[in-house]
Amino acid sequence: MEFSELIRTGQAQAELLRGPEMPPLRGTLCVTGHHLLLSPGPQATPDLWLLLLRSVDSIEKRVAGDAGTITLRCKDLRVLQLDIEGVEATLDIARSIEALSSLESVITSFPFFYRPKGLRLGEAWHFHPPERYYKRIARETWSSPLPVPQTRAWRLSEANEDFSLCPSYPRAVIVPRAVDDDALARSARFRQGGRFPVLSYYHAPRGTVLLRSSQPLTGRQKLRCAEDEELLRAVLAEARPGARGFIVDTRSAQAAKQARMTGGGTEAKAAYPGWKRLHRPLERGRPLQESFVRLMEACGDPEQSMDRWLSRLDGCRWLSHVKEALSTACLAAQGMEWEGACILVHGAEGTDSTLLVTSLAQLILDPLSRTMAGFQELIEREWIQAGHPFQLRCAHSAFSHTRPKHEAPIFLLFLDCVWQLGRQFPLSLEFGEGMLLALFDHSYASPFGTFLCNSEKERCLCEVRTRTHSLWSGLNQPKEQRKLRNPLYVPNPLAIWPSVEPQSLRLWQGLFLRWTHPPEPSEVAWEKVWQIATDQKTEGSQPTDSASEPQP
Amino acid sequence: MSLLRGLLGMELIGISVRLFLDFQEKPASLGTFFILIDKEVIYICPFNGPIKGRVYITNYRLYLRSLETDSALILDVPLGVISRIEKMGGATSRGENSYGLDITCKDMRNLRFALKQEGHSRRDMFEILTRYAFPLAHSLPIFAFLNEEKFDVDGWMVYNPVEEYRRQGLPNHHWRITFINKCYELCDTYPALLVVPYRASDDDLRRVAAFRSRNRIPVLSWIHPENKTVIMRCSQPLVGMSGKRNKDDEKYLDVIRETNRQINKLTIYDARPNVNAVANKATGGGYESDDAYHNAELFFLDIHNIHVMRESLKKVKDIVYPNVEESHWLSSLESTHWLEHIKLVLTGAIQVADRVSSGKSSVVVHCSDGWDRTAQLTSLAMLMLDSYYRSIEGFEILVQKEWISFGHKFASRIGHGDKNHADADRSPIFLQFVDCVWQMSKQFPTAFEFNERFLIIILDHLYSCRFGTFLYNCESAREKQKVTERTVSLWSLINSNKDKFKNPFYTKEINRVLYPVASMRHLELWVNYYIRWNPRIKQQQPNPVEQRYMELLALRDEYIKRLEELQLANSPKLSDPSTSPSSPSQMMPHVQTHF
Repeated sequence: MEFSELIRTGQAQAELLRGPEMPPLRGTLCVTGHHLLLSPGPQATPDLWLLLLRSVDSIEKRVAGDAGTITLRCKDLRVLQLDIEGVEATLDIARSIEALSSLESVITSFPFFYRPKGLRLGEAWHFHPPERYYKRIARETWSSPLPVPQTRAWRLSEANEDFSLCPSYPRAVIVPRAVDDDALARSARFRQGGRFPVLSYYHAPRGTVLLRSSQPLTGRQKLRCAEDEELLRAVLAEARPGARGFIVDTRSAQAAKQARMTGGGTEAKAAYPGWKRLHRPLERGRPLQESFVRLMEACGDPEQSMDRWLSRLDGCRWLSHVKEALSTACLAAQGMEWEGACILVHGAEGTDSTLLVTSLAQLILDPLSRTMAGFQELIEREWIQAGHPFQLRCAHSAFSHTRPKHEAPIFLLFLDCVWQLGRQFPLSLEFGEGMLLALFDHSYASPFGTFLCNSEKERCLCEVRTRTHSLWSGLNQPKEQRKLRNPLYVPNPLAIWPSVEPQSLRLWQGLFLRWTHPPEPSEVAWEKVWQIATDQKTEGSQPTDSASEPQP
Repeated sequence: MSLLRGLLGMELIGISVRLFLDFQEKPASLGTFFILIDKEVIYICPFNGPIKGRVYITNYRLYLRSLETDSALILDVPLGVISRIEKMGGATSRGENSYGLDITCKDMRNLRFALKQEGHSRRDMFEILTRYAFPLAHSLPIFAFLNEEKFDVDGWMVYNPVEEYRRQGLPNHHWRITFINKCYELCDTYPALLVVPYRASDDDLRRVAAFRSRNRIPVLSWIHPENKTVIMRCSQPLVGMSGKRNKDDEKYLDVIRETNRQINKLTIYDARPNVNAVANKATGGGYESDDAYHNAELFFLDIHNIHVMRESLKKVKDIVYPNVEESHWLSSLESTHWLEHIKLVLTGAIQVADRVSSGKSSVVVHCSDGWDRTAQLTSLAMLMLDSYYRSIEGFEILVQKEWISFGHKFASRIGHGDKNHADADRSPIFLQFVDCVWQMSKQFPTAFEFNERFLIIILDHLYSCRFGTFLYNCESAREKQKVTERTVSLWSLINSNKDKFKNPFYTKEINRVLYPVASMRHLELWVNYYIRWNPRIKQQQPNPVEQRYMELLALRDEYIKRLEELQLANSPKLSDPSTSPSSPSQMMPHVQTHF
């Protein structure tokens, strides 16, 4: 397929309106395979305006007289308006954008063509989190002050080398040493999508672990699987004699029971001695997507009808989802930290709310995951490699007219929860709001390959690692740091327990109201804070430089 | 009954020292405090259940320390905060902890103590609390007159009206300072010193006073340093049902307009809703009609009166204390309308500020009497327009000037030392103003020299009666009581330990006008004030945050010092603040492309 077949018209004269804060831009509009360009002509200062077509979420066209208007709603929640000369040109451009922005092929997407200056292909793809993370655990268990059985309780298994056990897991996973690869294979057959229980986080201070999986396939007949039971038994045995475990099921007890009708189910009490089940229902899928859509409708509504903003915000239930996600993560974290228990988290598929809970619990407990590098590793390990289907979940954000199929803003919900943590503990995260915004933007549409595909298996097939640039190498460039890092960061060795009361949670204005008239653009305030926090270190050289700048 | 029974009993000296101080504050002389009660009670904590504790009541505060090993609870309540004391349970009460005292406070909390029925212990506590929480009803002095605390700086020196007007460039050839109200004979609720148009004679002023409610004539609050438009404040004109007119008042407003030659309209903002302004005609008040005031345009700002605000805050308390309404938190919050009122006040102030800052016209602000909504509007507009008021001392001056000296009726609105808790004159107007300031500081995190703690300590001492700052309704009453000689100023406490109240991110920007966004989307409930008693909203580990802020403050000071040195060393023309590196525009090139 050639892009040119989809491009109906080369160019047109247009004016771009980008919201109340920014001046309109006039110039020549042009559609290319991956971008929408507006060239304002040689005399204008910003010489080119560029929009990745992939980031267009929905498009509306209107024509009147001999001109037309196209409204583009972007996945990063921006709304852009293009006033275009000529009816034909308007319709052609609209059709071209529509066709190009909804292409599903991965290997023709922009990341496969993006070759930025200063970055080399293959850079930063050297993160191999399971292996790296295993090394950390090995280190921690060796130096552990806890009794000997603890040490070397875990091993790195490559049983999934060819993705045959579980297509959504990475090649290597961390499992109890006592369980061999054959047993893993049988446990995998007993779990939906082959997602057998694997280690997600080792909590060194208490020697307890966080595991994740998918639901067991007990079905109507209440099937059992000896190897699966043995796996969870081994987890407890190796943690500590007499250790307890909690299974945090992210569905309601009733939903879990109902899942038996379709072949799923939950762990029978008798089959898993020492493990106790807790049900903490978390919304996912369509209800979550609808909540997001309603929230954006409320946020985008013009001022006049906003007398009932708070009850409307309440009605969207987005903040309730934030509250539920954080409370469940706290529950899992408390189980490990206070009860000294092992925790297994799963819902149905184990690729959505499960990851939300395990990754948030780690941020609460693990100071390393709150560093810039640790947070990137967490996302790589607990979201990307753990098989969160980004391609499906982030196909559209809040503005799509088509009925949602697999879309759900579960990763956005995670970022929002992290933002709430950052707001409550302003010094404890090494990264700032800018980092979270960047991750949101890139998870929905990006020139980088990091969030492409739904699993490691797919990424291997598409050769994502060798043919696209990693987002991490893009973000870790020195020029990006000021935007992404928290200037106030001081390492905090303690667990950070957030308050999850509704009055402690806020709407993430920096994201949901990012494009609608912020009082002081947060970057400006951010920049000032940076100056105060860091200019000291430059030994006063900076004041001299910038003070001399305005001279003619 | 000997009130001095427990006067610093030997065994109490250790604890007494701590009792009389706010922690970290300087030791005060102990002579003025005496312990009235020292006994064991059960404090019925709404969050953790009954806690056995030892309560000490002095003539300034009620202090309770938990006697239980697993609780470090400390209650520390200045008696001035108490608005109501009730006995709960009677001689026949049988239930556990059902006999005792219920105390309602002005600062969004209630206290409940259970006492033993025998030995008149409740009667003693009730009587002593009533006596010292409501000294006015017992012909006792308010505590501020007994307080002998000494501070390094004298907060009464912070505000000097002549100096403040001089800072604004007054008097000039259009505006003069008049002493016509030197002995409060023109208007007993105005300060002694007023700024009025040069062309209006003292006789003119007297004739205008006759036509303004409580003689509160239009006087200058603030003048724009460049375009010379002004903010004037006053009360409503006495139009009445018959639609009376007053040539002198009409002429006076025109004289104000004429101080800016190029402008042909004066803008009058009536803070009230239109219907309320009309209704006021029935009681002799009203508003400036188009017919009578040709060169003025009038706008209503729809801000409700003190009664509406009081009821709204009461609803806020209902949903946050003791338990937070959780299930539909945001909808419940909306139903209190508190944020909506905040929005209207801010919107009004933004309009005033915008008129003046754009040089479109001078502005006259009034409501009915010109001491509640008017004070809110003028002071908030001044805060938006003049960066000086965003410093710690500048803010103190703003409060001292627009609120205290211009007769916001603190005594009536707060009810210092008064037992009549249901008094219809009480209203949280000043709290609402401070809330608006907090909203602004949230939206502009680097624009204010002070932090949240500064605003909270002001509110705490609005009620505490430890300082003379907020006592009485007007300057004339304060002068009669010799408040500045006989009491300590709150600003003495604050200014002798300023670092505690500084915002480490403050970036001084002269001439920057702040326009907050007064949209419901950008306003939020001030949780750290209204829900501060609830332990569940507290984040753990506050200390590292505070410590880091202190470090940042130190860094900042050093940085500013070095910057100043460098600027001096470089070249004089570089000292223009717009070229300093704190200007964000140079640091933030606009990124156009989307990658």
